Formats: sequence, structure tokens, C-alpha cells
Amino acid sequence: MYLNIDAAKDITYDAIVIGSGVSGGWAAKELTEKGLKVLMLERGKPLEHITGYENAMKAPWEKKYNGRLTVKQKETHPFLSRDYPYNEMTEKYWMNDMESLYEEKKRFDWYRPDIVGGKSIMWGRQSYRWSDLDFEANLKDGIAVDWPIRYKDIAPWYSYVEKHVGISGEKLGLPQLPDSEFLPPMDMYFVEKEVRKRLEKEFPGRVMTIGRVANLSHAAKHHLEQGRASCQYRNLCSLGCPYGAYFSTQSSTLPPAVKTGRLTLRPHSMVSEIIYDDQKQRATGVKVVDTQTLQEREFFARIIFVCAGAIGSTVTLLNSKSNRFPNGLGNDSGELGHNLMDHHFRIGASGTWEGGLDTYYFGRRANGIYIPRYRNIGKDKRDYLRGFGYQGGGSRQGWQRNIAEYAFGAEFKEALTRPGAWTIGFGGFGETLPYHENRMYLHPEKKDKFGIPIVVFDADLRENEHKMRVDMMNDAAEMLERSGVKNVNTYDRGSYLGMAIHEMGTARMGRDPKTSVLNAYNQVHAVKNVFVTDGACMTSASCVNPSLTYMALTARAADHAVKELNRKNL
Amino acid sequence: MRLSAVLGVAFTEPLMAGVMGKKTYSGPVVAPTAVQEALVAEIADVIIPTTSTPGAKAAGAHHFIIRVIRDCYEQKDQEEFYAGVNRIAQKAKSQFNKEFVDLTDTQKKQLVQDAADHDKAFFGHMKSLTVTGYFTSEIGATQALDYLPIPGRFEGSYPLKPDQKTWAL
Repeated sequence: MYLNIDAAKDITYDAIVIGSGVSGGWAAKELTEKGLKVLMLERGKPLEHITGYENAMKAPWEKKYNGRLTVKQKETHPFLSRDYPYNEMTEKYWMNDMESLYEEKKRFDWYRPDIVGGKSIMWGRQSYRWSDLDFEANLKDGIAVDWPIRYKDIAPWYSYVEKHVGISGEKLGLPQLPDSEFLPPMDMYFVEKEVRKRLEKEFPGRVMTIGRVANLSHAAKHHLEQGRASCQYRNLCSLGCPYGAYFSTQSSTLPPAVKTGRLTLRPHSMVSEIIYDDQKQRATGVKVVDTQTLQEREFFARIIFVCAGAIGSTVTLLNSKSNRFPNGLGNDSGELGHNLMDHHFRIGASGTWEGGLDTYYFGRRANGIYIPRYRNIGKDKRDYLRGFGYQGGGSRQGWQRNIAEYAFGAEFKEALTRPGAWTIGFGGFGETLPYHENRMYLHPEKKDKFGIPIVVFDADLRENEHKMRVDMMNDAAEMLERSGVKNVNTYDRGSYLGMAIHEMGTARMGRDPKTSVLNAYNQVHAVKNVFVTDGACMTSASCVNPSLTYMALTARAADHAVKELNRKNL
Repeated sequence: MRLSAVLGVAFTEPLMAGVMGKKTYSGPVVAPTAVQEALVAEIADVIIPTTSTPGAKAAGAHHFIIRVIRDCYEQKDQEEFYAGVNRIAQKAKSQFNKEFVDLTDTQKKQLVQDAADHDKAFFGHMKSLTVTGYFTSEIGATQALDYLPIPGRFEGSYPLKPDQKTWAL
């Protein structure tokens, strides 16, 4: 049992980690393994690995509504109910919006988990390395501020985390999407293989590969030793995996941290602020609200890792006011809460494949295909900055499809019991620029039930993103059509910031304390014993999924933190 | 990202009323009568009848339909749904002078076809809920479809055997 809820005597630790998601889990693992006594604080409730995944083995007939939301769910989750991740099967993983409403000057979809493990339980698991195309982008374009790191600084840390996590994928040798330490790639669907052959011939320089995903396509010895097994291809990952086959805090970073005997995990613990000591000129601990009793208490440590999710971490910093930092801890630059980014998506094209009807598939692959960025690379020059990649994939239609010939009856039923046509679609994921004007901030008066000011969002897509979306839609249709796909239809369902759940940038890294919040090792410039290693730290958004980069940055920051502690610099 | 989001499948409606400050309705639910519940089962069984495998009624699809209408539909939509059920019952009486359940299969089909042609909103709800209710029921998933909860491996190109049914999952 790793929970130590009543830790009354133990209020002083070497390190405090705020949050237990992707970043917090890595911080706890690295810091405990390096010998530190760590307190991990999680706002949500406990979620035990395997036994806590109550819906993971349920048959379809055990679902009450099969994906539909109840009127009651819509009332208690006015924000979350606007999109798919929240449903009857994941009900307990997400926070009740009513516990802490937020305000939208512009719509922002903020997905707040309510469990130990955070979003590492429900995440999409797509895992890609960033490249110098990303790390040099702001400098080259004269946008925002330069990243204080380059690919060479993070590359060894990518390798380090990938070996532990287990990333399935295909080696390509592309400069804009460096290869990871891969487990074997997953197979492509028949239709994907057909389209890939034609697409890569029709469009030299464009590549269609299998998604790189944090699922164990083949569990290595060290994964088995962690208690993890290979993927069973059930495609129910977001319910929690009873086989530990995908990376989550519970499956991958918590077990080694617990094994050290140096981790204390305290759920139901909402950090309201970081305590800054004006005399010592350092952070000394945190104030915590118990979400069940609403009682306040304090914990102390030499270093603090803030990993509460981009928005959560920024709220914590903004709410940590002192004489030295009247506008929030580390907010000398005034950038805290600004430069809010996410990926924009929900746009692309799809169609059907004629033929291949004697071929079916076996198993359910929790992964799609990926087309790495090709726009604004080399000689390609568009009327917008940066670019996009595509995620998507093929399948064969099942019983959910529409049957044009029959409205109902025996023929209708029989038709649905046989597989339909092969289909394939590409959906773009585009980079959003870091605009100072895109921001979130604390409401000056309104507070939630925990006494913490509520968040106000004021951020939107702008001209560069809208121009890019034209290409995102048209390129998808063009590639599908020229690859032999029929009945190609484009779509644009509109993208609101937050929906991709890749929110980032609100406490950015940079070289200059006047224009950024964090330094090259994710330390708050003016409070070196506070590290922020989740999405808040990102200086630009790239167009590839960010979680793997959070992991690598966290492991790198933890290494730096312990070295600095040993050098007595912290 | 869920794959269906990229493939053009609509799976949730934009339900923004609560956020936009509009009152979402969660007042008293419409309690269907036993007759109405039986009618839902009968209509579902016309949409998905017994063939070489049991139909919607035997699979209990109506339990799913009634539950979804009760818990997921707002009161106005519940009332509209049962008004559609009543219209079919009334037509059975006016055209055949019988209860729907006592009609011949041909007569039942005629009335459901009539709803498909002229009562499209009601028929759309009824059909979509019947299909989901049936193919996610134990009978539908395991007998009408091929049910394989733990595949253990993935092959993207797999020979389609003559007796292969649609995967249930």
C-alpha cells in the first residue's frame, strides 16, 4: 500500500511534487531513485493500478448508455460534456466541473482529471520526439522568445525515458521527426498499406507511418519486471489497462518510485500556493487544502516540482503571492498565464476504398497512422508559419454504419452482421503560435469551494492558424484522392483551444528572465528551487504531441535538481 | 485522439446549454406506460427481427432504449419520443382496428415503413437506439456478431472467412 494519507508527523521532505500525471510521475520516480524523500500531492482521489479500473473489463451490455451522456452528467459537467473524453465509463476519472467552475471570455475546453495518475490514465499515448525544427522555430521566425535548449540537450533524455516507457513505432530517419528507441511497430490496416504505397509515390517527401504510441507492442524484460504485459489489442486504454500495457503513472513511474521506500503519496490534496520566504529568498513549502475536509495544512521541502498540468501549475504560481512576488511566484516578466497554446485540429478529410473485401482485420489497434509535417520544410514555403501533421487511419465499417438500401428489417439486420467497406481518413494537428494576448488569469474576486480563485480564459486561434487550416483540409483530400480513395469528403468541425488537451506555454522557458518564467532546466528564474516541468514550460507548441517531451524535460530537470542539491547550490 | 473523431463519425452532440448559461432541463421524467414499453419492444423487433439469430425483443434492446430515453433525453424530447410511439399505436387502430402487437408481420412492417417515410425524427431515434441496443446486447454481440473481447494480437490484413461476421467490438 503506497498511500500515506495521514502523514501528520511527516511534514518535511527533500522534495515536493505537485501533481501525479505524466510529469509528476516522472519527477517522483527520478527524485526518489536518486535518494530523495519525496511527497507527491494529488488533488484527485486515489486510483489503484488494475483493481481501480472498474470498467476496463466490462462487456458492452454492461454499459447503461453506450457512450451517451445523461441529463444529469451534462448538468454536473457543463464543460466536460461538450466533448468525447467524458462518458459513463470514465465518469470517475474526471473532475465534476461544478466543484470549480471557470469563466470563458473565449471558449476553452479544460479537461481536469480527478484521480491519482491524472491524465496519464486517459491520454492518447501518441509519443513523438520534437526536433530542432521546433526548438529553433521561434528564433528563426522572430516570434515570442527563443527556446533555451536545442535538440542535442534533450535527445539523451528522450532515449532515457523511451526505454522505460516503451514506445512502439517505425524507424524513418526523418530530421523533423527523430526516431525514438522503438519497440516493434504495430501493423497497418489493409487500406492503410494500400494508401501508403500510392501516397509516398505520388507525393515525394511525404511519409505515412504507423503512429508512435506508448503501448507495449512487445513487452521487454524490464517491462515485465515492472509488472507490465504486452498490448492485448482491446482498444479500451482510456479506462485504465489491467495489463499495464500502456504508459501511465500507475503502470510505469509509480512502481519504481514506491519501490525505493522514499515516496509518500497524498491524494485529496489541492495545493493552493507555494510558500516563499522573503528572508531566505527561496520557496520553503506549500499550502494544501484537503479537498474532503477543506482543512488547510502546510508541507515543507528543499525543492518543489510543479507538475499540476499546464493550467493547474500556472494557477498555483499565480496564486502564490508574497512581498517579493506580488503578481505570482516567479512572475517578474509578467508572462505567467500568457502565451497559452494548444494544437488546433478537427479538420481533414475521409473516404472509402473500393475493393479489398476479401480482407478483414484481427484485433483492435489502439493507434492510428501518422503523416509527419512536410509544410514549410526545405523549399516548401506557405503563406503561414510552421506546419501540421496528420493523425488518422483506416478500418472496415461495422454494425454502426448506415445501410442505404434497407431502412429496417431482416435484410437490414443481415447486412449489418457482415463487414462494410474499407474507410480511411486523415485529421490535421496544427501548431498554434505563442501569442502574448492568448492568456488565462485568476478571477479578481470569484473563488471556488477550495478558496482558490477561479480561472478566466481569453485565448483564440488567429490568422496564422486559420490560414494553415486551409491546407490542413485541402491537403488531406488531395492526398486521399491521388492515393486512390473514393468518395472523399472534407470536414472542419471547428477547433477550440484546449480541445486537443495539449494545453501549454503559460510559464514558458527562455533565456531572459525579463521575458520568460523558467530557465533551461525548468527552474523559475528567480526561485531556483522551484521547477515547472509540465506543459506550462513550453516556449512553442510544435505540431507533434507533447507528452513525451514533458517526460524528457522532467527527467532532465530532476537530474539537474539533484546535482545542484549535491553541489549545495539549492 | 479517438480515431472516430478523425474519421468523420459524429458521436456526441454539442451540448453547450449548461455552459452558455441556459437552463438545462432535468425536471420530472416521462414515465412510459406498460403498453408504451411493450410497443417499443414490438417496434424494435420489426427493425431488427429474429432471423437465424434472435431479434431485438429477445435481446432486450427495449430495456436499453427506454433507459436512454429516460436518463439521456430531456423531458421535451422524451415526450416527443412517446408521442411517436403513440402515433404508431393509433395507426394500428385506425387502419387495422387492432393493437399493434396483434398485427401480422406485414401490417407491422407497413406501419414502421410509414414512420420511416413520414415520421422521420421519431423513426431516426427509434432505429438508432434499436441498432445500438441490439448489437451491444449480449445476444446481439455474441450471436449476430463475432465477439472477441481479448484479441491478444493485431493483424491489419486478415483473410475474411465465409462465415466471418462483423466484429462486435
